Amino acid sequence: MNVGVAHSEQNPNVSWLNSKGIWFTYIIFVFTMHLVLLSLPFLTTAVAWTLTNVLHNVSAFYLLHVVKGAPWETSDQGKARSYTYWEQIDDGVQFTATRKFLTTVPIVLFLMASFYTKYDPTHFFINISTLAVVLIAKLPQLHGVRIFGINKY
Amino acid sequence: MLDLIPDYVKNAPFYHLAVEAFLLVWILWLIFRKSYSPAEKNKLSEKDKKELLEEWTPEPLVPDYEFKDSVINPRVVEGPVAKYAIVNGVKSLNAASFNFLNMVGNEKINEKAIKSIEKYGVGSCGPRGFYGTIDVHLELEQRLAKFFSVEEGIIYSYGFSTIASAIPAYSKRGDIIFADEGVHFAIQKGIVASRSDVRYFKHNDIEDLERLLKEQEEADKKNPKKAKATRRFLVIEGLYMNHGDLCPLPKMVDLKYKYKYRIFLDETVSFATIGKTGRGVTEYYNVPREKIDLISGSMELSLGSVGGFCVGSSFVVQHQVLSGQGYCFSASLPPLLAASAIEALNIIEAQQGEMFPDLEKKCKLLHQKLKSVNNLTVSGIDISPVKHVRLSFDNTLEKLEKIVDYAQANSVSLTVARYLKEEKFSPKPSIRISVNYDLSDSEIDLIVNVIEQGIKSIGC
Repeated sequence: MNVGVAHSEQNPNVSWLNSKGIWFTYIIFVFTMHLVLLSLPFLTTAVAWTLTNVLHNVSAFYLLHVVKGAPWETSDQGKARSYTYWEQIDDGVQFTATRKFLTTVPIVLFLMASFYTKYDPTHFFINISTLAVVLIAKLPQLHGVRIFGINKY
Repeated sequence: MLDLIPDYVKNAPFYHLAVEAFLLVWILWLIFRKSYSPAEKNKLSEKDKKELLEEWTPEPLVPDYEFKDSVINPRVVEGPVAKYAIVNGVKSLNAASFNFLNMVGNEKINEKAIKSIEKYGVGSCGPRGFYGTIDVHLELEQRLAKFFSVEEGIIYSYGFSTIASAIPAYSKRGDIIFADEGVHFAIQKGIVASRSDVRYFKHNDIEDLERLLKEQEEADKKNPKKAKATRRFLVIEGLYMNHGDLCPLPKMVDLKYKYKYRIFLDETVSFATIGKTGRGVTEYYNVPREKIDLISGSMELSLGSVGGFCVGSSFVVQHQVLSGQGYCFSASLPPLLAASAIEALNIIEAQQGEMFPDLEKKCKLLHQKLKSVNNLTVSGIDISPVKHVRLSFDNTLEKLEKIVDYAQANSVSLTVARYLKEEKFSPKPSIRISVNYDLSDSEIDLIVNVIEQGIKSIGC
């Protein structure tokens, strides 16, 4: 990942995400977080699952769809500056393996949270609304779109 | 079997199950639909390949080109291109190359260069960040900073790549550059490399600049969020190499605080020529140097060495250590050239009291005398060491070339200002005369006379 040298990638900010090891690490990370929440005695199983789901979706939304640019100066003269992390993945190509994986994870988490919250309507409302936010932001139709100019510059 | 399913699943509300079913279908659809890998994006089918190959007509290896006389019969120079140079075997007075302070051929500098080769060898063997930094580089940087009385300086290995690297180091995609139409080729290339939006204003036309700035201000008011993320730069030359006139710097500094832009000032020609002690246009106009965000210059003209430099505040200079492409990825300046540049600075600092008034006097004298020549116009300011002269009527490149040939036959080397096809706004053809502060009055007369007779000889 040599940034800015003659034979480097233009934007190495995202390429590491294509590795299967990173996917596995991601899953481990989410479930470790869940286990930590579950081990807290004052949280019920249902609350722990909803909390996992919400924490995951909020942080995923922030990291993938709010933060723009790259943490270092890329050699593309600032092209990545106006793109969110999700938009930088695979140079903006849609339906790549990484994108499919990142879309599937929150859905699976929701299904599991639904089961463990015993289909409770309140939990359902919280979980589905956070899920909707991350899923809608990932739609190919919304690539590069800033609704109401939010986060445009 | 059904007993294994807990009650709460069986009693799950319908809307919930519908949502889950929808999500499951979504996942399945994602898994089974075609995947694209980023590498595949550019893959061509066999049919596309065939079509492209059929469409392709090879360009000739040697394109049709009209070879001009100057290309077929180039002037051959032997020995150093100093005040006098041996051109085509004849010793001629050199008014063609930029040797304003007569540093080329200076004995002291030659001696320093030889000593430097004995100590360091010829090359520096690497970029500055990779075993290429030698004590003379650091000394030269400090000396340049001291010369301009600013915080820090940075040197590049090539004059052209200095400003061409400095501009894209700061100005990125989406930023706005206001640039003068008269800027030289290196600046134009730097602007292209920055990928910023560029607005060219008419040469030295402060009203045109203000019109563009007002337009931008209107656009910014409509979209304040965008304006907040946009940097604005003004790129100008101190003394325009292609025009021989000074930029109206004080007015541009006033506008800087009104319209909020940063000023990049290229002092390639004006460094060590303009101002009472050669500190450039900032000294000439008495503008505090802190108001100029970046000053760049070249050591290839007045200092008679090779390379370029930028000076400014520590923040500005240190950014280039990591982001100036020419600094990071070029082998550093050969130590002998850095040592000769230091020696040239020593000479300037020792003689600045006489040197620059002398140069100014010579420039003014030549300007006056050229002005009195019939059928000749001199453009630019009288204190400029670069003069562009044109025929008043029917000014064509061919005629100017003939005058240059005539001068060469009379042992005076002149040159036509040459521009590349790729230049954005090429000025009208001209003969470019550069002044050497060491020229005697009779030598100035010789240059003027030879031009006068040259004009007569082509029948103008």
